[in-house]
Amino acid sequence: MSFLGTLVGVVIPYVAAFIFVVGVLYRVFQWSKCAVPFNITTTSGQQYSLPWLNRTFMDRFDSPYTGWETAVRMLMEVFLFRSLWKNVRYELPGQTAVSTKWLWLFGLMFHWSLLTVLIRHFRFFLEPVPWFVTAITRLDGFIEVHLSWFQPHVVNIMVTGLLLLIALLYLLIRRIAFPKERTFSLPSDYIALFLLLGVVVTGLLMRYVIPVNVTEVKMLAQGLLAFNPPSNLDLHWLFMLHLLFVSTLLAYFPFSKLMHSAGIFFSPTRNMPNNPRAKRHINPWNYPVKGVDWDEFYENFKDDLDELENMGYVVKPEEV
Amino acid sequence: MSEQKFEDLEKFEIRQQFGNWRELLKPTTEMRKGYYSYAALLRDQEYLNLPYPREWNTLDEDWKLPPNWKEIIINKMDELRRKYRSFQVFMDICVRCGACADKCHYYIGTGDPKNMPVVRAELLRSIYRKYFTKSGKVFGEYAGARELTEDVIKEWFLYYFQCSECRRCSVFCPYGIDTAEITMLARELLASIGISQRFTLISAAACVRTGNHLGLNPGGVVNSIQYAVDDIKEITGVDIEVPVNKKGAEILFVTPSGDYFAQPHWFTFMGYLMIFHELGLDYTMSTYAAEGGNFGFFHSFEVAKKINQKIYKEAKRLGVKWILGGECGHMWRIKHQYMATYADDTYDDALKVLEEPVNPITGTVFENASSTKMVHILEFLADILKHKKLKIDKSRNDHLRVTHHDSCNIARGMGLLEEPRFVLKSVCNYYYDMPDHAIREKSYCCGSGAGLLADELFELRMRGGMPRAMAVKYVHEKYGVNHVTAACAIDRAAIPTLLQYWKLPVQMGGVTELVANAMVMKGESERDTDLRGNPLGEYLEVEV
Repeated sequence: MSFLGTLVGVVIPYVAAFIFVVGVLYRVFQWSKCAVPFNITTTSGQQYSLPWLNRTFMDRFDSPYTGWETAVRMLMEVFLFRSLWKNVRYELPGQTAVSTKWLWLFGLMFHWSLLTVLIRHFRFFLEPVPWFVTAITRLDGFIEVHLSWFQPHVVNIMVTGLLLLIALLYLLIRRIAFPKERTFSLPSDYIALFLLLGVVVTGLLMRYVIPVNVTEVKMLAQGLLAFNPPSNLDLHWLFMLHLLFVSTLLAYFPFSKLMHSAGIFFSPTRNMPNNPRAKRHINPWNYPVKGVDWDEFYENFKDDLDELENMGYVVKPEEV
Repeated sequence: MSEQKFEDLEKFEIRQQFGNWRELLKPTTEMRKGYYSYAALLRDQEYLNLPYPREWNTLDEDWKLPPNWKEIIINKMDELRRKYRSFQVFMDICVRCGACADKCHYYIGTGDPKNMPVVRAELLRSIYRKYFTKSGKVFGEYAGARELTEDVIKEWFLYYFQCSECRRCSVFCPYGIDTAEITMLARELLASIGISQRFTLISAAACVRTGNHLGLNPGGVVNSIQYAVDDIKEITGVDIEVPVNKKGAEILFVTPSGDYFAQPHWFTFMGYLMIFHELGLDYTMSTYAAEGGNFGFFHSFEVAKKINQKIYKEAKRLGVKWILGGECGHMWRIKHQYMATYADDTYDDALKVLEEPVNPITGTVFENASSTKMVHILEFLADILKHKKLKIDKSRNDHLRVTHHDSCNIARGMGLLEEPRFVLKSVCNYYYDMPDHAIREKSYCCGSGAGLLADELFELRMRGGMPRAMAVKYVHEKYGVNHVTAACAIDRAAIPTLLQYWKLPVQMGGVTELVANAMVMKGESERDTDLRGNPLGEYLEVEV
């Protein structure tokens, strides 16, 4: 068991983490190297023009003029999915679009739950456990249930863990059941979902059905973090499965659409202020292109232009 | 048997197709009438010095691509991803959540899954994966990657000219992925192997040569202005003078060239001239910079730059202090987000004469245009009307029930949403907004932007314009709306046809037209019609 434990518990996680860190940094580096030739903000609200014009509170962020307004727009995009909130569905034959917030709801539910679950996992890595981890865990697990058949008898239901499962199932089902989403879903879209589902399901099983030795998990986690992993490992099969899913996900991350989590910060339609007429944007690779200048234009249309000169450069109504 | 025309079909059918990812990876090359664009003319390709100029035909099997076309495309893609962060990031981060799918008016109107913004981007992304990502190289089609073939090029030409770069999908995308950006770069790729669309290139070449998209000689522009001042005299009895190419004027006025004679642009054009006269504005028009729009923008960076430089050069030559721009959509996307950036030393040169725009009538400083020095006519008019510098008789628009169509580019590329509403409410008694999902940043495109106004795309345009037409129908039935305004020259060309096709008794025109309608001029004769000759007062029944 020791060989398998070392492979799954130490070698694979290290390799996966290495690929993850190097891969993500490489992609981010690659993006930041690309030039931004134009300011191409997508404006989703009233621009700043005449100060007295009706500009709502949200317009300031949907069509930001200053740096901090742009920052708020980005934060709303990242934490609240502002654009997805606007989602509508076009209905035929009624020829109208109705507001639909299901994708926003489940998308937000998934991402926030994932964040909470990740923070909760800090307790495996950090000793002593930081106060905010304890606080979040306590808040998350405010529902207590008594299960006579379960070893600790009293168990705190971690709400986010279940929400994560529900949200993932929704995201999967919409790709299978909705015709439009089925049409453009690629195998890679399913791979990401299956890997996440694998992580979540094994995690939930360990928590509620087949408890594993938490002390051992903690020892491994802290050892991995300190680059001093325990040598004689005897890991539970379910935990190994969980760890395998996590490792695969991490290694897959930089090559996949999951990079959207970093990419959104680089999206030029969202991270630039709508002020290009007030502040000139410079294209770093701009080069001159020859067009027709006035002299050439004048040569081509000499007669017309001379006649205009004779008119004194003014067009008046004809005398009747 | 004669071919059945889309215009004459009794039943409008949207055939929804739901395939799967494997089918979507196969290139669609069926060139259905009404959906594909014509190939660019040799003369325009040569005039603009485009690479690999040749005569070719969309319906031909052989598009006569250069022998190393594949290499050119791959190299160009590599170049573009370094040059445009948007391209690299948008290729990498899409999660295919589907929020954009039914936001595209072309998808709504055609039911073709390749018109979903996500799939439109996948047409390019699949190639990007194959040649630039590890997973695409290793797992091939299972990673959503596909080989670059001639059929893919044909598919690109078909579908990247079924996108009007309206950016509606970008509003809803949680990462702000902008299909307009992807379409522009795809067109740039196509242009690199000598594939361009006829309509955009005719206009772009004309604009480089003559200074405007219509290809009017300076004499033609002057004649147009002549007709306008004659018409104004006939309707209002007021003699107005229009300065053209006048050195030393304070303001250079630039408008899309459609305004010079197309219907219903014409009334907006008269409107500008009447208002400037009434305000006593020290301005000039130009025959060199006779065009505000830039069809090069729908082709490639270089052609866009060729056209873009004229305005600053002319501002410098004439020695104006600032620039005022007429009502146009893509023109304002460019003026707002691109113009000063495109310009290299022409900008610095122009700065020798240009100053921060100040409204000479009200003294308002246009701080938001302090760098580009170019102000939108509706910002200008909103300021004028706020300060009550024009005598307005609102009742002159009482025969109209007005709604406003937010043009894509100024709504989502600029954020000019309240100005037109303020102006319209200042000059009309009856103004009604269309439903929320159809206005402001959620506005539907007219279906003909970004070079899709071409006649050969008629079916696509009528289908793509359907959501807009239905929103107009809604306010027509609810409030009796009989007049749509839009601050965009393409809208003014596209929407009348659209309304006619959808059998809506509604007319359309620019915003400035209604201001001029309601404006009481000094020394004007008794008015009993609007600028179009419709009687004032009674509710106007528009003929279908």
